[in-house]
Amino acid sequence: MMARTLKTLFMALSALMLALPIMVVSGAALNSGRTMFFPPREPTLARFKEFFITETVWVTALTNSMIVAFASAALAVLIAWPLAYALWSRGTKASQVLAGLGSMPFALPPIVFGVGLGFLWAFLGVLGSLWAGVVSHAALFLALPLVTISIGLQSIDRAHLDAAATMGATPAVTFRTVILPQTIPYTLSGFFFALVLSFNEFIVMFFVSASSYSTVTLQIFNSLRNGYTPTMAVAAITFIVVSLAVFGAIARFGDLPRLMGAEPAKK
Amino acid sequence: MTLASDHDTAPQVGDLAPKNSLPSGETLIRGLIWAVVLFLCLTPFLLVFAISFGHKVEGASWVWGFSLDNYKRVFVGAEWPDNVTFLYLQKLWYSLYYAVIAAILAVITAFPFTYFMTGLSRRAQAAWLVFILSSLSLSEVFIVMGWDVLLSNRSGLPMLFKVSGATQWLKDVGWFDTLRDWGLANPRNVKFKTSVFATVLTMAYLVWPYAVILLYPPLSRLDRSTVEAAQTMGAGPWTVMRTVILPSVRLPLVGSMLLLFVFLLGVYVAVTVFAEPAKQTMAVSVYEAVRGNTLNAPFGSAQAMILLVTAAVFLGLGQWLSRRNA
Repeated sequence: MMARTLKTLFMALSALMLALPIMVVSGAALNSGRTMFFPPREPTLARFKEFFITETVWVTALTNSMIVAFASAALAVLIAWPLAYALWSRGTKASQVLAGLGSMPFALPPIVFGVGLGFLWAFLGVLGSLWAGVVSHAALFLALPLVTISIGLQSIDRAHLDAAATMGATPAVTFRTVILPQTIPYTLSGFFFALVLSFNEFIVMFFVSASSYSTVTLQIFNSLRNGYTPTMAVAAITFIVVSLAVFGAIARFGDLPRLMGAEPAKK
Repeated sequence: MTLASDHDTAPQVGDLAPKNSLPSGETLIRGLIWAVVLFLCLTPFLLVFAISFGHKVEGASWVWGFSLDNYKRVFVGAEWPDNVTFLYLQKLWYSLYYAVIAAILAVITAFPFTYFMTGLSRRAQAAWLVFILSSLSLSEVFIVMGWDVLLSNRSGLPMLFKVSGATQWLKDVGWFDTLRDWGLANPRNVKFKTSVFATVLTMAYLVWPYAVILLYPPLSRLDRSTVEAAQTMGAGPWTVMRTVILPSVRLPLVGSMLLLFVFLLGVYVAVTVFAEPAKQTMAVSVYEAVRGNTLNAPFGSAQAMILLVTAAVFLGLGQWLSRRNA
Protein backbone atom coordinates (compact mmCIF):
# COMPACT_ATOMS: atom_id res chain seq x y z
CA MET A 1 0.00 0.00 0.00
CA MET A 2 2.84 2.29 1.00
CA ALA A 3 4.74 1.47 -2.18
CA ARG A 4 1.65 2.21 -4.22
CA THR A 5 1.24 5.65 -2.68
CA LEU A 6 4.90 6.44 -3.28
CA LYS A 7 4.56 5.32 -6.86
CA THR A 8 1.58 7.56 -7.53
CA LEU A 9 3.29 10.41 -5.75
CA PHE A 10 6.42 10.07 -7.84
CA MET A 11 4.43 10.01 -11.10
CA ALA A 12 2.37 13.02 -10.04
CA LEU A 13 5.50 14.90 -9.08
CA SER A 14 7.13 14.11 -12.44
CA ALA A 15 4.01 15.29 -14.26
CA LEU A 16 3.96 18.49 -12.21
CA MET A 17 7.62 19.16 -12.92
CA LEU A 18 7.03 18.53 -16.60
CA ALA A 19 4.02 20.84 -16.72
CA LEU A 20 5.47 23.61 -14.56
CA PRO A 21 7.23 25.79 -17.17
CA ILE A 22 4.36 25.21 -19.60
CA MET A 23 1.82 26.34 -17.01
CA VAL A 24 3.87 29.40 -16.15
CA VAL A 25 4.16 30.44 -19.78
CA SER A 26 0.46 29.77 -20.42
CA GLY A 27 -0.58 31.71 -17.35
CA ALA A 28 1.50 34.64 -18.47
CA ALA A 29 -0.56 34.86 -21.67
CA LEU A 30 -3.45 36.25 -19.69
CA ASN A 31 -1.57 39.36 -18.55
CA SER A 32 -3.11 42.61 -19.70
CA GLY A 33 0.12 44.59 -19.47
CA ARG A 34 3.21 44.33 -21.63
CA THR A 35 5.23 42.41 -19.07
CA MET A 36 5.13 38.74 -18.21
CA PHE A 37 3.95 38.30 -14.69
CA PHE A 38 3.12 35.11 -12.98
CA PRO A 39 0.51 34.85 -11.60
CA PRO A 40 -1.04 37.09 -14.31
CA ARG A 41 -2.27 40.57 -13.43
CA GLU A 42 -5.67 41.70 -14.71
CA PRO A 43 -6.32 38.59 -16.82
CA THR A 44 -7.52 39.28 -20.35
CA LEU A 45 -7.78 37.47 -23.65
CA ALA A 46 -6.61 40.46 -25.69
CA ARG A 47 -3.25 38.80 -26.37
CA PHE A 48 -4.97 35.98 -28.26
CA LYS A 49 -6.56 38.49 -30.62
CA GLU A 50 -3.16 40.10 -31.17
CA PHE A 51 -1.45 36.83 -31.94
CA PHE A 52 -4.01 35.43 -34.34
CA ILE A 53 -5.49 38.53 -35.96
CA THR A 54 -4.11 42.00 -35.42
CA GLU A 55 -0.32 41.81 -35.16
CA THR A 56 0.98 41.12 -38.66
CA VAL A 57 4.40 39.98 -37.42
CA TRP A 58 2.86 37.07 -35.56
CA VAL A 59 0.23 36.27 -38.18
CA THR A 60 2.91 36.06 -40.88
CA ALA A 61 5.15 33.97 -38.65
CA LEU A 62 2.30 31.59 -37.87
CA THR A 63 1.42 31.25 -41.56
CA ASN A 64 5.06 30.48 -42.40
CA SER A 65 5.25 27.91 -39.62
CA MET A 66 2.12 26.18 -40.91
CA ILE A 67 3.31 26.14 -44.53
CA VAL A 68 6.69 24.73 -43.55
CA ALA A 69 5.24 22.16 -41.16
CA PHE A 70 2.58 20.76 -43.52
CA ALA A 71 4.67 20.84 -46.69
CA SER A 72 7.82 19.41 -45.09
CA ALA A 73 5.91 16.63 -43.32
CA ALA A 74 4.23 15.66 -46.59
CA LEU A 75 7.55 15.70 -48.43
CA ALA A 76 9.22 13.66 -45.69
CA VAL A 77 6.51 10.99 -45.97
CA LEU A 78 6.87 10.96 -49.74
CA ILE A 79 10.62 10.34 -49.53
CA ALA A 80 10.35 7.95 -46.58
CA TRP A 81 7.84 5.59 -48.26
CA PRO A 82 10.12 4.18 -50.97
CA LEU A 83 12.99 3.97 -48.44
CA ALA A 84 10.92 2.04 -45.92
CA TYR A 85 9.40 -0.13 -48.65
CA ALA A 86 12.78 -1.06 -50.12
CA LEU A 87 14.08 -1.81 -46.65
CA TRP A 88 11.14 -4.09 -45.91
CA SER A 89 10.73 -5.86 -49.26
CA ARG A 90 14.40 -6.27 -50.15
CA GLY A 91 16.36 -5.67 -46.97
CA THR A 92 19.56 -5.48 -48.98
CA LYS A 93 22.73 -3.83 -47.75
CA ALA A 94 22.12 -0.95 -50.16
CA SER A 95 18.66 -0.20 -48.82
CA GLN A 96 20.00 -0.32 -45.26
CA VAL A 97 22.71 2.16 -46.16
CA LEU A 98 20.12 4.40 -47.78
CA ALA A 99 17.86 4.30 -44.73
CA GLY A 100 20.86 5.00 -42.51
CA LEU A 101 21.78 8.03 -44.60
CA GLY A 102 18.21 9.23 -44.41
CA SER A 103 18.22 9.05 -40.61
CA MET A 104 21.57 10.77 -40.23
CA PRO A 105 20.35 14.39 -40.04
CA PHE A 106 18.01 13.50 -37.18
CA ALA A 107 20.63 11.57 -35.23
CA LEU A 108 23.48 14.08 -35.38
CA PRO A 109 23.55 17.52 -33.70
CA PRO A 110 21.07 19.65 -35.66
CA ILE A 111 23.28 22.73 -35.46
CA VAL A 112 25.83 21.05 -37.75
CA PHE A 113 23.14 20.02 -40.25
CA GLY A 114 21.73 23.55 -40.10
CA VAL A 115 25.11 25.13 -40.86
CA GLY A 116 25.61 22.69 -43.75
CA LEU A 117 22.19 23.34 -45.22
CA GLY A 118 22.88 27.07 -44.95
CA PHE A 119 25.98 26.60 -47.15
CA LEU A 120 24.12 24.32 -49.57
CA TRP A 121 21.25 26.74 -50.17
CA ALA A 122 23.67 29.67 -50.41
CA PHE A 123 25.55 27.88 -53.18
CA LEU A 124 22.34 27.23 -55.07
CA GLY A 125 21.30 30.84 -54.56
CA VAL A 126 18.06 29.99 -52.79
CA LEU A 127 19.10 30.71 -49.20
CA GLY A 128 16.21 32.37 -47.41
CA SER A 129 13.43 31.13 -49.68
CA LEU A 130 10.55 29.50 -47.87
CA TRP A 131 10.64 26.31 -49.92
CA ALA A 132 14.31 25.80 -49.07
CA GLY A 133 13.11 25.79 -45.47
CA VAL A 134 10.44 23.22 -46.38
CA VAL A 135 13.00 20.90 -48.00
CA SER A 136 15.40 21.36 -45.07
CA HIS A 137 12.82 20.26 -42.55
CA ALA A 138 11.76 17.35 -44.75
CA ALA A 139 15.37 16.12 -44.70
CA LEU A 140 15.76 16.70 -40.97
CA PHE A 141 12.60 14.80 -40.02
CA LEU A 142 12.75 12.10 -42.71
CA ALA A 143 13.74 9.61 -40.00
CA LEU A 144 10.34 9.85 -38.26
CA PRO A 145 8.02 8.63 -41.04
CA LEU A 146 10.78 6.20 -42.02
CA VAL A 147 10.52 4.58 -38.59
CA THR A 148 6.73 4.60 -38.28
CA ILE A 149 6.18 3.27 -41.82
CA SER A 150 8.75 0.55 -41.20
CA ILE A 151 6.90 -0.48 -38.03
CA GLY A 152 3.68 -0.52 -40.06
CA LEU A 153 5.15 -2.68 -42.82
CA GLN A 154 6.61 -5.10 -40.29
CA SER A 155 3.21 -5.52 -38.64
CA ILE A 156 1.65 -6.80 -41.88
CA ASP A 157 0.90 -10.47 -41.60
CA ARG A 158 2.92 -12.31 -44.25
CA ALA A 159 0.06 -14.81 -44.53
CA HIS A 160 -2.11 -12.06 -46.06
CA LEU A 161 0.52 -11.47 -48.73
CA ASP A 162 0.78 -15.19 -49.47
CA ALA A 163 -3.00 -15.46 -49.64
CA ALA A 164 -3.20 -12.56 -52.07
CA ALA A 165 -0.49 -14.09 -54.23
CA THR A 166 -2.16 -17.51 -54.22
CA MET A 167 -5.41 -15.96 -55.36
CA GLY A 168 -3.62 -14.46 -58.31
CA ALA A 169 -3.23 -10.86 -57.26
CA THR A 170 -0.46 -9.03 -59.07
CA PRO A 171 2.09 -7.26 -56.86
CA ALA A 172 0.45 -3.95 -57.77
CA VAL A 173 -2.96 -5.20 -56.63
CA THR A 174 -1.49 -6.65 -53.43
CA PHE A 175 0.15 -3.33 -52.74
CA ARG A 176 -3.11 -1.44 -53.20
CA THR A 177 -5.42 -3.84 -51.38
CA VAL A 178 -3.25 -5.31 -48.62
CA ILE A 179 -0.13 -3.28 -47.96
CA LEU A 180 -1.42 0.26 -48.35
CA PRO A 181 -4.58 0.01 -46.20
CA GLN A 182 -2.69 -1.63 -43.32
CA THR A 183 0.05 0.98 -43.29
CA ILE A 184 -2.07 4.12 -43.60
CA PRO A 185 -2.34 4.71 -39.81
CA TYR A 186 1.44 4.40 -39.49
CA THR A 187 2.02 6.70 -42.44
CA LEU A 188 -0.29 9.29 -40.89
CA SER A 189 1.47 8.99 -37.53
CA GLY A 190 4.81 9.59 -39.22
CA PHE A 191 3.33 12.58 -41.00
CA PHE A 192 2.07 14.09 -37.76
CA PHE A 193 5.28 13.42 -35.83
CA ALA A 194 7.20 15.28 -38.53
CA LEU A 195 4.56 18.02 -38.59
CA VAL A 196 4.66 18.72 -34.87
CA LEU A 197 8.45 18.60 -34.61
CA SER A 198 8.83 20.86 -37.64
CA PHE A 199 6.39 23.30 -36.08
CA ASN A 200 8.60 23.50 -32.99
CA GLU A 201 12.03 23.29 -34.60
CA PHE A 202 14.36 26.22 -34.14
CA ILE A 203 18.04 25.89 -34.93
CA VAL A 204 17.98 24.47 -38.47
CA MET A 205 15.30 26.94 -39.49
CA PHE A 206 17.44 29.69 -38.02
CA PHE A 207 20.32 28.90 -40.36
CA VAL A 208 18.30 28.27 -43.52
CA SER A 209 15.93 31.24 -43.17
CA ALA A 210 18.89 33.65 -43.09
CA SER A 211 16.62 36.24 -41.46
CA SER A 212 14.61 36.74 -44.64
CA TYR A 213 11.44 35.30 -43.13
CA SER A 214 10.51 34.08 -39.73
CA THR A 215 8.50 31.28 -38.25
CA VAL A 216 6.92 31.46 -34.79
CA THR A 217 9.90 29.89 -33.01
CA LEU A 218 12.32 32.22 -34.83
CA GLN A 219 10.16 35.21 -34.01
CA ILE A 220 10.17 34.25 -30.34
CA PHE A 221 13.92 33.83 -30.31
CA ASN A 222 14.32 37.25 -31.93
CA SER A 223 12.17 38.76 -29.22
CA LEU A 224 14.16 37.05 -26.45
CA ARG A 225 16.55 39.97 -26.20
CA ASN A 226 13.84 42.62 -25.93
CA GLY A 227 12.24 40.72 -23.09
CA TYR A 228 9.16 38.59 -23.21
CA THR A 229 5.74 39.86 -24.09
CA PRO A 230 2.57 38.00 -23.16
CA THR A 231 1.80 37.60 -26.87
CA MET A 232 4.67 35.11 -27.07
CA ALA A 233 2.97 33.07 -24.39
CA VAL A 234 -0.11 32.78 -26.61
CA ALA A 235 2.15 31.16 -29.19
CA ALA A 236 3.28 28.66 -26.58
CA ILE A 237 -0.33 27.80 -25.71
CA THR A 238 -1.17 27.37 -29.40
CA PHE A 239 1.75 25.01 -29.84
CA ILE A 240 0.98 22.86 -26.84
CA VAL A 241 -2.70 22.63 -27.85
CA VAL A 242 -1.75 21.57 -31.38
CA SER A 243 0.62 18.91 -30.01
CA LEU A 244 -1.96 17.57 -27.56
CA ALA A 245 -4.60 17.43 -30.30
CA VAL A 246 -2.30 15.67 -32.77
CA PHE A 247 -0.92 13.09 -30.35
CA GLY A 248 -4.36 12.64 -28.82
CA ALA A 249 -5.69 11.84 -32.30
CA ILE A 250 -2.85 9.38 -32.93
CA ALA A 251 -3.65 7.68 -29.61
CA ARG A 252 -7.38 7.65 -30.43
CA PHE A 253 -7.13 6.25 -33.95
CA GLY A 254 -3.88 4.34 -33.79
CA ASP A 255 -2.02 2.19 -31.33
CA LEU A 256 0.26 4.70 -29.65
CA PRO A 257 1.92 2.27 -27.20
CA ARG A 258 2.73 -0.04 -30.12
CA LEU A 259 4.14 2.86 -32.16
CA MET A 260 6.36 3.76 -29.23
CA GLY A 261 7.68 0.22 -29.09
CA ALA A 262 5.45 -1.78 -26.75
CA GLU A 263 4.42 -5.33 -27.61
CA PRO A 264 1.36 -5.55 -29.89
CA ALA A 265 -1.85 -5.32 -27.86
CA LYS A 266 -3.30 -8.67 -26.80
CA LYS A 267 -6.89 -8.89 -27.85
CA MET B 1 27.41 6.65 -58.05
CA THR B 2 23.70 6.05 -58.10
CA LEU B 3 23.85 3.71 -61.06
CA ALA B 4 26.57 1.62 -59.47
CA SER B 5 24.46 1.15 -56.38
CA ASP B 6 21.54 0.03 -58.45
CA HIS B 7 23.43 -3.04 -59.53
CA ASP B 8 23.98 -3.95 -55.89
CA THR B 9 20.26 -3.98 -55.28
CA ALA B 10 19.43 -6.48 -57.99
CA PRO B 11 15.98 -8.00 -57.35
CA GLN B 12 16.01 -11.05 -55.16
CA VAL B 13 13.84 -14.09 -54.81
CA GLY B 14 10.60 -13.17 -53.11
CA ASP B 15 10.84 -9.64 -54.39
CA LEU B 16 7.54 -7.83 -53.87
CA ALA B 17 8.10 -5.05 -56.37
CA PRO B 18 6.13 -5.31 -59.61
CA LYS B 19 8.09 -7.67 -61.85
CA ASN B 20 6.29 -6.86 -65.06
CA SER B 21 7.07 -3.14 -64.94
CA LEU B 22 9.80 -1.78 -67.17
CA PRO B 23 13.16 -2.24 -65.47
CA SER B 24 14.32 1.12 -66.75
CA GLY B 25 11.48 2.89 -64.94
CA GLU B 26 12.26 1.11 -61.70
CA THR B 27 15.95 1.90 -62.02
CA LEU B 28 15.06 5.50 -62.69
CA ILE B 29 12.97 5.74 -59.52
CA ARG B 30 15.65 4.07 -57.44
CA GLY B 31 18.31 6.35 -58.86
CA LEU B 32 16.12 9.34 -58.09
CA ILE B 33 15.64 8.28 -54.46
CA TRP B 34 19.37 7.77 -54.03
CA ALA B 35 20.06 11.16 -55.56
CA VAL B 36 17.52 12.91 -53.33
CA VAL B 37 18.77 11.27 -50.12
CA LEU B 38 22.44 11.81 -50.92
CA PHE B 39 21.79 15.40 -51.89
CA LEU B 40 19.69 16.30 -48.85
CA CYS B 41 21.21 14.20 -46.10
CA LEU B 42 24.86 13.94 -47.04
CA THR B 43 25.93 17.06 -48.97
CA PRO B 44 25.29 19.48 -46.07
CA PHE B 45 27.74 17.53 -43.90
CA LEU B 46 30.25 17.25 -46.76
CA LEU B 47 30.06 21.00 -47.32
CA VAL B 48 30.75 21.72 -43.66
CA PHE B 49 33.72 19.36 -43.91
CA ALA B 50 35.07 20.98 -47.09
CA ILE B 51 34.61 24.55 -45.90
CA SER B 52 36.37 23.84 -42.61
CA PHE B 53 39.66 23.82 -44.55
CA GLY B 54 39.06 27.23 -46.11
CA HIS B 55 39.87 30.61 -44.64
CA LYS B 56 38.23 33.93 -44.01
CA VAL B 57 38.91 36.95 -46.23
CA GLU B 58 38.22 40.62 -45.56
CA GLY B 59 34.62 41.43 -44.85
CA ALA B 60 32.34 38.57 -44.02
CA SER B 61 33.42 36.32 -46.87
CA TRP B 62 35.62 33.26 -47.12
CA VAL B 63 37.47 31.27 -49.79
CA TRP B 64 38.15 27.61 -50.38
CA GLY B 65 41.50 26.33 -49.33
CA PHE B 66 43.33 23.48 -47.82
CA SER B 67 44.88 24.33 -44.53
CA LEU B 68 44.49 22.93 -41.07
CA ASP B 69 44.69 26.41 -39.49
CA ASN B 70 41.09 26.33 -38.29
CA TYR B 71 41.62 23.04 -36.52
CA LYS B 72 44.89 24.26 -35.08
CA ARG B 73 43.05 27.30 -33.73
CA VAL B 74 40.47 25.09 -32.04
CA PHE B 75 43.03 22.89 -30.34
CA VAL B 76 45.92 25.18 -29.45
CA GLY B 77 44.92 28.70 -30.55
CA ALA B 78 45.74 30.75 -33.66
CA GLU B 79 49.14 31.95 -32.43
CA TRP B 80 50.60 28.56 -31.77
CA PRO B 81 53.50 27.77 -31.27
CA ASP B 82 54.29 31.24 -29.84
CA ASN B 83 51.22 31.32 -27.70
CA VAL B 84 48.93 28.53 -26.58
CA THR B 85 45.30 28.95 -25.66
CA PHE B 86 42.76 26.29 -24.92
CA LEU B 87 39.77 28.62 -25.18
CA TYR B 88 37.92 26.48 -27.72
CA LEU B 89 38.82 23.19 -26.11
CA GLN B 90 37.35 24.66 -22.97
CA LYS B 91 34.10 25.31 -24.87
CA LEU B 92 34.11 21.71 -26.03
CA TRP B 93 34.73 20.66 -22.44
CA TYR B 94 31.66 22.61 -21.31
CA SER B 95 29.60 21.02 -24.11
CA LEU B 96 30.56 17.59 -22.78
CA TYR B 97 30.21 18.60 -19.13
CA TYR B 98 26.65 19.96 -19.37
CA ALA B 99 25.57 17.14 -21.66
CA VAL B 100 26.91 14.35 -19.43
CA ILE B 101 25.31 15.64 -16.24
CA ALA B 102 21.98 16.48 -17.88
CA ALA B 103 21.79 13.12 -19.69
CA ILE B 104 22.50 11.13 -16.53
CA LEU B 105 20.07 13.22 -14.49
CA ALA B 106 17.33 12.76 -17.08
CA VAL B 107 17.77 8.99 -17.37
CA ILE B 108 17.98 8.42 -13.61
CA THR B 109 14.71 10.28 -12.99
CA ALA B 110 12.93 9.02 -16.11
CA PHE B 111 13.71 5.39 -15.35
CA PRO B 112 11.45 4.90 -12.30
CA PHE B 113 8.74 6.98 -13.97
CA THR B 114 8.79 4.84 -17.10
CA TYR B 115 8.86 1.66 -15.06
CA PHE B 116 5.74 2.72 -13.15
CA MET B 117 4.06 3.89 -16.35
CA THR B 118 4.54 0.58 -18.14
CA GLY B 119 2.79 -1.14 -15.23
CA LEU B 120 -0.42 0.77 -15.93
CA SER B 121 -3.27 -0.26 -18.22
CA ARG B 122 -2.77 0.26 -21.92
CA ARG B 123 -5.29 3.10 -22.01
CA ALA B 124 -3.53 4.91 -19.19
CA GLN B 125 -0.21 4.36 -20.94
CA ALA B 126 -1.59 5.93 -24.11
CA ALA B 127 -2.79 8.97 -22.14
CA TRP B 128 0.60 9.41 -20.49
CA LEU B 129 2.32 9.03 -23.86
CA VAL B 130 0.21 11.85 -25.31
CA PHE B 131 1.33 14.07 -22.45
CA ILE B 132 4.98 13.03 -22.75
CA LEU B 133 5.07 13.42 -26.53
CA SER B 134 3.47 16.86 -26.34
CA SER B 135 6.11 18.10 -23.97
CA LEU B 136 8.80 16.36 -26.02
CA SER B 137 7.85 18.25 -29.14
CA LEU B 138 7.54 21.57 -27.36
CA SER B 139 10.10 23.92 -28.83
CA GLU B 140 13.34 24.63 -27.01
CA VAL B 141 12.50 28.33 -27.12
CA PHE B 142 9.28 27.83 -25.14
CA ILE B 143 10.95 25.62 -22.55
CA VAL B 144 13.74 28.12 -22.08
CA MET B 145 11.15 30.88 -21.84
CA GLY B 146 9.24 29.00 -19.14
CA TRP B 147 12.30 28.24 -17.05
CA ASP B 148 13.55 31.75 -17.59
CA VAL B 149 10.36 33.14 -16.04
CA LEU B 150 10.61 30.57 -13.22
CA LEU B 151 14.27 31.22 -12.46
CA SER B 152 14.69 34.92 -13.21
CA ASN B 153 15.55 37.17 -10.31
CA ARG B 154 12.49 39.38 -10.30
CA SER B 155 9.86 36.67 -10.55
CA GLY B 156 9.56 32.96 -10.07
CA LEU B 157 11.55 30.97 -7.55
CA PRO B 158 13.92 33.65 -6.18
CA MET B 159 10.86 35.82 -5.49
CA LEU B 160 9.14 32.86 -3.85
CA PHE B 161 12.21 32.26 -1.68
CA LYS B 162 12.19 35.85 -0.54
CA VAL B 163 8.46 36.21 0.11
CA SER B 164 8.13 32.89 1.90
CA GLY B 165 11.05 33.75 4.16
CA ALA B 166 13.17 30.89 2.86
CA THR B 167 15.97 33.32 2.02
CA GLN B 168 16.00 34.66 5.58
CA TRP B 169 15.94 31.12 6.93
CA LEU B 170 18.89 30.13 4.72
CA LYS B 171 20.79 33.15 6.02
CA ASP B 172 19.93 32.25 9.62
CA VAL B 173 21.19 28.70 9.37
CA GLY B 174 24.26 29.82 7.46
CA TRP B 175 23.66 27.88 4.25
CA PHE B 176 23.31 31.08 2.32
CA ASP B 177 27.07 31.54 2.20
CA THR B 178 27.46 28.05 0.79
CA LEU B 179 25.01 28.96 -1.97
CA ARG B 180 27.02 32.11 -2.66
CA ASP B 181 30.14 30.02 -2.98
CA TRP B 182 28.36 27.90 -5.53
CA GLY B 183 27.28 31.02 -7.44
CA LEU B 184 23.64 30.44 -6.62
CA ALA B 185 23.09 33.62 -4.59
CA ASN B 186 23.87 37.32 -4.69
CA PRO B 187 24.21 39.33 -1.45
CA ARG B 188 20.45 39.86 -1.16
CA ASN B 189 18.75 36.72 -2.40
CA VAL B 190 19.23 33.41 -4.12
CA LYS B 191 19.80 33.63 -7.86
CA PHE B 192 19.69 30.91 -10.49
CA LYS B 193 20.50 32.94 -13.57
CA THR B 194 23.12 32.58 -14.82
CA SER B 195 24.42 29.35 -13.38
CA VAL B 196 25.51 25.84 -14.23
CA PHE B 197 22.55 24.67 -12.16
CA ALA B 198 19.99 26.45 -14.36
CA THR B 199 21.73 25.29 -17.55
CA VAL B 200 21.86 21.65 -16.53
CA LEU B 201 18.33 21.71 -15.10
CA THR B 202 16.87 23.08 -18.33
CA MET B 203 18.88 20.67 -20.45
CA ALA B 204 17.80 17.69 -18.37
CA TYR B 205 14.22 18.90 -18.63
CA LEU B 206 14.63 19.22 -22.39
CA VAL B 207 15.55 15.55 -22.84
CA TRP B 208 13.48 14.04 -20.04
CA PRO B 209 10.55 13.13 -22.34
CA TYR B 210 13.06 11.63 -24.80
CA ALA B 211 14.44 9.51 -21.97
CA VAL B 212 10.94 8.19 -21.24
CA ILE B 213 10.32 7.41 -24.92
CA LEU B 214 13.69 5.64 -25.22
CA LEU B 215 13.21 3.57 -22.07
CA TYR B 216 9.59 2.76 -22.87
CA PRO B 217 10.15 -0.14 -25.35
CA PRO B 218 12.56 -2.18 -23.18
CA LEU B 219 10.59 -1.58 -20.00
CA SER B 220 7.22 -2.39 -21.55
CA ARG B 221 8.64 -5.64 -22.94
CA LEU B 222 10.10 -6.56 -19.57
CA ASP B 223 8.79 -9.89 -18.41
CA ARG B 224 6.66 -8.95 -15.40
CA SER B 225 6.24 -12.59 -14.36
CA THR B 226 9.89 -12.82 -13.28
CA VAL B 227 9.32 -9.73 -11.12
CA GLU B 228 6.27 -11.36 -9.57
CA ALA B 229 8.17 -14.60 -9.08
CA ALA B 230 10.92 -12.78 -7.24
CA GLN B 231 8.35 -11.03 -5.09
CA THR B 232 6.58 -14.27 -4.24
CA MET B 233 9.88 -15.70 -3.15
CA GLY B 234 10.12 -12.87 -0.68
CA ALA B 235 12.43 -10.39 -2.42
CA GLY B 236 11.90 -6.80 -1.33
CA PRO B 237 11.36 -4.01 -3.89
CA TRP B 238 15.04 -2.99 -3.81
CA THR B 239 16.26 -6.54 -4.24
CA VAL B 240 13.88 -7.02 -7.19
CA MET B 241 15.13 -3.79 -8.74
CA ARG B 242 18.78 -4.72 -8.25
CA THR B 243 18.70 -8.38 -9.20
CA VAL B 244 15.88 -8.67 -11.76
CA ILE B 245 15.00 -5.38 -13.41
CA LEU B 246 18.28 -3.48 -13.62
CA PRO B 247 20.35 -6.31 -15.13
CA SER B 248 17.81 -6.81 -17.92
CA VAL B 249 17.65 -3.12 -18.87
CA ARG B 250 21.27 -2.17 -18.24
CA LEU B 251 22.00 -1.88 -21.93
CA PRO B 252 19.00 0.33 -22.86
CA LEU B 253 19.86 2.55 -19.90
CA VAL B 254 23.40 3.14 -21.11
CA GLY B 255 22.21 3.42 -24.71
CA SER B 256 19.63 6.08 -23.81
CA MET B 257 22.21 8.08 -21.89
CA LEU B 258 24.51 8.06 -24.90
CA LEU B 259 21.75 9.17 -27.29
CA LEU B 260 20.60 11.96 -24.99
CA PHE B 261 24.18 13.03 -24.49
CA VAL B 262 24.69 13.34 -28.25
CA PHE B 263 21.44 15.26 -28.57
CA LEU B 264 22.50 17.66 -25.81
CA LEU B 265 25.85 18.43 -27.46
CA GLY B 266 24.02 20.61 -29.96
CA VAL B 267 21.77 22.51 -27.56
CA TYR B 268 21.95 26.19 -28.28
CA VAL B 269 19.11 28.29 -26.82
CA ALA B 270 19.29 26.96 -23.26
CA VAL B 271 23.04 27.53 -23.07
CA THR B 272 22.94 31.09 -24.43
CA VAL B 273 20.27 32.06 -21.94
CA PHE B 274 21.37 30.20 -18.81
CA ALA B 275 25.13 29.70 -18.97
CA GLU B 276 27.62 32.35 -17.89
CA PRO B 277 29.50 34.00 -20.78
CA ALA B 278 32.74 32.30 -19.75
CA LYS B 279 31.06 28.89 -19.67
CA GLN B 280 29.41 28.76 -23.08
CA THR B 281 29.60 25.69 -25.28
CA MET B 282 30.93 24.84 -28.70
CA ALA B 283 27.45 24.95 -30.25
CA VAL B 284 27.20 28.60 -29.24
CA SER B 285 30.65 29.21 -30.63
CA VAL B 286 29.65 27.63 -33.96
CA TYR B 287 26.69 29.96 -34.11
CA GLU B 288 28.86 32.99 -33.30
CA ALA B 289 31.27 32.13 -36.10
CA VAL B 290 28.70 31.33 -38.78
CA ARG B 291 25.91 33.80 -38.09
CA GLY B 292 26.94 35.89 -35.09
CA ASN B 293 29.51 38.57 -34.45
CA THR B 294 32.74 37.06 -35.65
CA LEU B 295 31.51 35.86 -39.07
CA ASN B 296 34.19 33.34 -39.87
CA ALA B 297 32.36 30.49 -41.63
CA PRO B 298 35.40 28.20 -42.12
CA PHE B 299 36.33 28.44 -38.44
CA GLY B 300 32.70 27.76 -37.48
CA SER B 301 32.71 24.76 -39.81
CA ALA B 302 35.85 23.38 -38.19
CA GLN B 303 34.20 23.60 -34.77
CA ALA B 304 31.03 22.03 -36.18
CA MET B 305 33.13 19.16 -37.55
CA ILE B 306 34.70 18.58 -34.14
CA LEU B 307 31.24 18.58 -32.57
CA LEU B 308 30.09 16.15 -35.26
CA VAL B 309 33.02 13.80 -34.76
CA THR B 310 32.45 13.85 -30.99
CA ALA B 311 28.78 12.99 -31.55
CA ALA B 312 29.63 10.25 -34.05
CA VAL B 313 32.18 8.68 -31.71
CA PHE B 314 29.60 8.38 -28.93
CA LEU B 315 26.89 7.10 -31.30
CA GLY B 316 29.37 4.52 -32.58
CA LEU B 317 30.20 3.56 -29.03
CA GLY B 318 26.51 2.96 -28.35
CA GLN B 319 26.22 0.79 -31.48
CA TRP B 320 29.28 -1.17 -30.48
CA LEU B 321 27.97 -1.73 -26.95
CA SER B 322 24.60 -2.97 -28.15
CA ARG B 323 26.14 -5.25 -30.75
CA ARG B 324 28.63 -6.72 -28.31
CA ASN B 325 25.88 -7.48 -25.82
CA ALA B 326 23.33 -8.63 -28.36
